[in-house]
Amino acid sequence: MEFLIVSTLNGVIYGLLLFMVSSGLTLIFGMMGVLNFAHASFYMVGAYIAYTITALVDFWVGLLVAPILVGLLGVLVERYLLRRVHEHGHAHELLLTFGLAFIFEELVKLFYGDFPVNYAMPDYLRFPAFTVFGTDYPFYRIFIGLVAVAMFVALYLLLSRTRAGLVVRAAERLPSMAEALGHNVPLVFMGVFGTGAAFAGLGGAVAGAFFPTNPNMALELGVIVFVVVVVGGLGSLEGSLIASLMIGLFSSFAVGLDWSLAGLFSLVGLGEWARSLGGVFTLTLSSISGTIPFLLMLIVLLVRPAGLMGERN
Amino acid sequence: MLARIVTIAAILVVLVAVPPLLDIGWQNAMTNMLIASLFAVAFNLLIGQAGLLSFGHAAFFGVGAFATLHLMVVIEDGGLAFPTPLLPLAGAAGGFVIGAFAGYFATMRSGVYFALVTLAIAELFHSLAPHWDGLFGGEAGLSSMRMPWGGLVYGSSLEVYYLALGWTVLSVFLLWAYTRTPFGRLTLALRDNEQRVRFMGYNAHSTKVIIFAVSAMFSGVAGALLAISNETANYTLFSTHVSAQVVLHTFVGGSTVFFGPVIGASVFTLFAFFVSDVTRSWLLYQGLIFVLVMLYAPHGIGGLVDAHRRHWSQLRWSELAPAYGLAALSGLALSGATIFLVEAFEILFSPEYDAARRRADGAWPPFELFGLDWQAFGIVTWAVPVLLAAAGLLLLPRARRALRQAWDGVLERTEADRTGSVSPELAGAAER
Repeated sequence: MEFLIVSTLNGVIYGLLLFMVSSGLTLIFGMMGVLNFAHASFYMVGAYIAYTITALVDFWVGLLVAPILVGLLGVLVERYLLRRVHEHGHAHELLLTFGLAFIFEELVKLFYGDFPVNYAMPDYLRFPAFTVFGTDYPFYRIFIGLVAVAMFVALYLLLSRTRAGLVVRAAERLPSMAEALGHNVPLVFMGVFGTGAAFAGLGGAVAGAFFPTNPNMALELGVIVFVVVVVGGLGSLEGSLIASLMIGLFSSFAVGLDWSLAGLFSLVGLGEWARSLGGVFTLTLSSISGTIPFLLMLIVLLVRPAGLMGERN
Repeated sequence: MLARIVTIAAILVVLVAVPPLLDIGWQNAMTNMLIASLFAVAFNLLIGQAGLLSFGHAAFFGVGAFATLHLMVVIEDGGLAFPTPLLPLAGAAGGFVIGAFAGYFATMRSGVYFALVTLAIAELFHSLAPHWDGLFGGEAGLSSMRMPWGGLVYGSSLEVYYLALGWTVLSVFLLWAYTRTPFGRLTLALRDNEQRVRFMGYNAHSTKVIIFAVSAMFSGVAGALLAISNETANYTLFSTHVSAQVVLHTFVGGSTVFFGPVIGASVFTLFAFFVSDVTRSWLLYQGLIFVLVMLYAPHGIGGLVDAHRRHWSQLRWSELAPAYGLAALSGLALSGATIFLVEAFEILFSPEYDAARRRADGAWPPFELFGLDWQAFGIVTWAVPVLLAAAGLLLLPRARRALRQAWDGVLERTEADRTGSVSPELAGAAER
């Protein structure tokens, strides 16, 4: 029972964190058709900016300033780099952002070194939120989840209840029509790109204080985020929310379970035989928890190639 | 055509004749260059021919290496008398099988989905390999020894180099020949209009799976050559960096030209050999080069070379040379500024400099760069990159204007030539 509750909580919160990053990615893709490889880099840059500001000023200032700076960085990338290669097609845009991801990682290594930095939450946030079965559950995890939920609500209200959101949705559906009606679609694109980057930056600033902040974090999270958008269906916010939670839960449960194929075989009395074969039969679920998201993706591709909520391309 | 054959023959002669004169470090660098070239050409079969952009080719490269090492272990234990020069066949088989399997999934989707799925497949191997002792040797990986065969010991790096050369030349030739077959033409058609290929009655999915598997097979050969050269392999072969390198090589070299990836792979591998001793920021420069190529020369180095070759008779060097000179000056100034800044920051932000500051009680000691001492807050120190950058930026618009003018002239003359040669026929047609 303890395992069940703690794993569920961890999974949901990890899923929400994934959603913080994947929502911007999927939004940008839905609008501009650009798969931004550098999106997870915005998450990393957010964490490093927040770390720097925390060291210089204060944790909360860092939490506020990091998304703004990362958002500006996103605007610059869209305005001066992406727009330039737009005429060469989507593959080129993808390659450009791929190169940028490479450069961001190396720049972080240049200034901060190729090792984790000591970015941590302030001590007064370091207390247990509640106790489940004798284990303290850290408040900060709940805090990460709350920030993600707040972000999702704000995003939802912005898109569905405001005039700006209306224009954004119009520009997503029919860019040329929205432009003909007098809306500045390139500006809308730039704004969405910046907002998506800012969300990723916020995710980095919040989560970096709890999870390790190192030059690999963009890559590690980035790959999972890509799996999330493939499973959820690119361009679909609901899909990416569901997929984020799903992958968050799967990964967090897998860490605690030492099931193996041999165990499965022993249910029908073939356990010893399977164990004697070794190899793939004795791999425990916990040791391959990092592999689970990718297996899940392959299964989704087999059953529903367009992703959970995606439209067929 | 003749010029091309002569060029290729000349390069082959150099590749065969020169390495015995070089030292071991160079021979190893040349071997790595061959491996990277083969990997890039195999990768480019997908993006250049079929229009499929894979971000996970490390999977097949790694599988090829591990398959070969397993075979080498068996041979070393005396279980099998397999000829050492044919070892890459194991890599080819491994790459083909895994490639067919992975390709079945990946080619279900196209475009960016395809890129993401391939990335995830490589990551699947990367996350699985360190935990799977039997197949991938856990975190330490597998090691073995090259066994002597047929009078050759395969002990020296020169012998390994020739083995790699043979396999690379053979594989690249096969890949080139493949593009000439009807099936290779079908690959091009898939890239240009998949709908139409399907309409003509071809099964697009299975065609793509075959192309994917062939590309993976030759990537496996490249991986096998690396395994033979290093005699070891571990899970880091599956890492995203390996996949990223081949993408960088291919696109800097130019994916629209068959030998473009070879150019990119050779240039980058040799540069890495020279520069990686000098600076830790080599990967940063590589990324910058890649982004600049994407922005300003979308078809890569190979594309540039090809443009000159195609318009050879229309080139007027009296116009081009000053434009190129100006561009080179501007580029030199800008890269000088960039390199100075990057290297200076690398020193100033390093833990060593931090320690030096602590020894100096918080003062900013001067640092050494390019054989000179610089003050951390000296005006001269920062004036150097600023002046270089200013000079480069001042020259840049002029260089671009001159380049555009010179090339507009070339294209105009080409156009005039083309219409000039067509018009008599048109005139004849009009008379009839």
